[in-house]
Amino acid sequence: MSMVTERSLKYLDERLGTSSLARKTLRKVFPDHWSFLLGEIALFSLVVLIFTGVFLTFFYTPSVQEVTYDGPYTPLQGAHVTAAFDSVMRISFEVRAGLLMRQTHHWAALVFVASIVIHLCRIFFTGAFRRPREVNWLVGVLLLFLALGEGFTGYSLPDDLLSGIGLRIFYAVTLAIPIVGTWVTYLLFGGEFPAPDIISRLFVFHVMLLPALLLGLVGVHLAILVLQKHTQFPAHGKTERNVVGKRLWPEQTFKSVSLLLFTTAVLALLGGLAQINPVWQYGPFEPFDVTSPAQPDWYIGFLDGALRLGPPWDLTLFGFTISEVFWPAVLFPGIAFGILTLWPWIERRFTRDRAEHHLLDRPRDTPVRTGIGAAGLMVFFIMFLEGGNDIFGVLLNVSVETITRILQWGLLIAPIVTFLVTYWICKGLSRTRLRPAQINAGVRLSRTPDGGYETVSLEPAEAEEELEPAER
Amino acid sequence: MTDSDQGSERVDVDRQTEQGPTGRELTGAQRKAERRAGIALAVAIVAGLGLFVVYFAGGQTQVEGVLFAVAFGGFGIALGIWANHLLDAREVVEERHELTSGAAGRQALGDALAAEVGPVIGRRSLLVKLLAGAGGALGLALLLPVLSLGPAPGDTLKVTPWRRGSRVVDEEGELVSLNQVPEDGFLTVFPEGHEGAADAQTLLIHVRPGSLKLPPERMAGVPEGTHVAYSKICTHAGCPVGLYRAESQSLICPCHQSQFDVSDGAKPFFGPAARPLPQLPLGVDEENVLVAQGDFPEPVGPAFWDMNRGR
Repeated sequence: MSMVTERSLKYLDERLGTSSLARKTLRKVFPDHWSFLLGEIALFSLVVLIFTGVFLTFFYTPSVQEVTYDGPYTPLQGAHVTAAFDSVMRISFEVRAGLLMRQTHHWAALVFVASIVIHLCRIFFTGAFRRPREVNWLVGVLLLFLALGEGFTGYSLPDDLLSGIGLRIFYAVTLAIPIVGTWVTYLLFGGEFPAPDIISRLFVFHVMLLPALLLGLVGVHLAILVLQKHTQFPAHGKTERNVVGKRLWPEQTFKSVSLLLFTTAVLALLGGLAQINPVWQYGPFEPFDVTSPAQPDWYIGFLDGALRLGPPWDLTLFGFTISEVFWPAVLFPGIAFGILTLWPWIERRFTRDRAEHHLLDRPRDTPVRTGIGAAGLMVFFIMFLEGGNDIFGVLLNVSVETITRILQWGLLIAPIVTFLVTYWICKGLSRTRLRPAQINAGVRLSRTPDGGYETVSLEPAEAEEELEPAER
Repeated sequence: MTDSDQGSERVDVDRQTEQGPTGRELTGAQRKAERRAGIALAVAIVAGLGLFVVYFAGGQTQVEGVLFAVAFGGFGIALGIWANHLLDAREVVEERHELTSGAAGRQALGDALAAEVGPVIGRRSLLVKLLAGAGGALGLALLLPVLSLGPAPGDTLKVTPWRRGSRVVDEEGELVSLNQVPEDGFLTVFPEGHEGAADAQTLLIHVRPGSLKLPPERMAGVPEGTHVAYSKICTHAGCPVGLYRAESQSLICPCHQSQFDVSDGAKPFFGPAARPLPQLPLGVDEENVLVAQGDFPEPVGPAFWDMNRGR
């Protein structure tokens, strides 16, 4: 070891006691499976979001003060726009590399939420949320909500026509909350729509409050992960009592940094080549203008679709009104996200499984959970489709009325069918006893004389024999 | 800390040496991998330098994106090749440590709490109660500034700037007179002095004579039986109802496709909206300019809790 290294390690260790911790960290074991990288993609998208976001913050003006646009984009020259919209136009057309940063930021946001959702699906379908990881499930679901909040607030900042309509709808949704809706809306928006404070408030949420919470919870999420160690798929030599995999240094570090660079590469490519949110085409927000067709970012699509599918039922009870918006946009997300948040405890009520689990389930071996998960995804998928009913209407040359009717029936029927089909496929796959993921899997469980159990790992050939279906 | 320390101490050394190549000499495949990683890094260097050229030449979004992608991607590919082919990939088995401190540990904490917290708090029960009271009062008081965030809603959602005698103008503030909008045409209008006001936006539609099916008291607000005005704010989620199909005399909200029958009091006949668009009663002054006879009879826009009370 070189003199300099030795001295700096000594310096740090004598003051912070870092040596044993660092050594332990370098030796941390990571199980090797592609699906464990989904969460990392979310983390790395967040890194890209922070870097591009800080850049954008230097140029963005969170103000609705009216200015006259006099930039290089001729169709809007002379138009009265807000300072917020004007600054986004400047970022897009005048700041060098500004458009690349803006588009990469937007794409990274889409990938961020998408990778969180897919990561969550992996955790759900493999039962990785079971004891002792319920707490981290909770943290993860909160992170999803924060990511959605970040996405929506960021998307609204340019004060363009499309996002302005999104805000208008969000305003209607908060108004639809029973009893306190009016007050909540006025406190949140600062008055009747379009209150002038809303853009500066969204900005504070987007660059301060939500990122602080998000980064804090990411820290908690990772700390719990380190503390509890990773889960792993059952396979030869992998038990409930060990972790089998590659060490942080060098294997996992190389892989993770490689993935970070790759994520960044893909996002930069999208940001450079794939146009996203061209606010100059939508134009500045005017409360009496509207674009058509109008679609939000993909992760809000289900909510927009839910609003399109919703029944025209408003209620008046004792003179008070419950809006038709309440059912699809307040009650439905409340219930759906409530079930998602509490899933580890809901499942435990039925399975009565209180044991610690570090080995993952294969989705086929838990057909009820897999079926429920698939049905839930189907609900969101149908709503997402309905969110684009006007686009499909044009593409398929079918009226939006027809599409809406079909999807309304689909929403009632498809989840049930999805559950049954998934359940049936899982049962079938389970019966084949095929283990495509790990050929050499298998342990033999035997009772010891004193009443305990011991597991004996099987050699690959032996395992094959053991698992050979009798029917064959 | 010591617990997990032991955990990593108990690494199964046998399995580390058992799996993966250990030899120092490079195999042919490794030499090939090294070459490929080298090429990827060289490409990354070229792309990185290319970015300088593009930036100082004035910048070009697409080229910048591609060069960034190539630079990051080449770097990433090289590290990926390194990870997969050039490292002694050793599978390591680590024992898990117990997460729980066990019954004894919990007992010890319980005892410690009883011994150290109990005496501090227990002997001064009155003070502790006052402490809780002070904390609660202060906590609630600290929430008060939240109320500064918005005005009290009051009746603001139930009224618009339209008044009896408000002259009708377009978004530029130009007065709108009878027959200015052609038959089957429509125009977004506002009360004079409130051009662009979000809650006052109103659709003035010039319908064909005799096509309206409204009760007499509502026809009284339709000059010549052809100039009908409805709130432009969708009663569903508040989007501007911007599309008008003249042949079927229906208004369509582009956000969620609620459809309203103009001839029948703008009642919704398809989609999620539950309430008709409120009608603005219109009249004509001496100069043939359209004027409002009053505000909308119902609150405009999306529903809220007390919309039907105490107006």
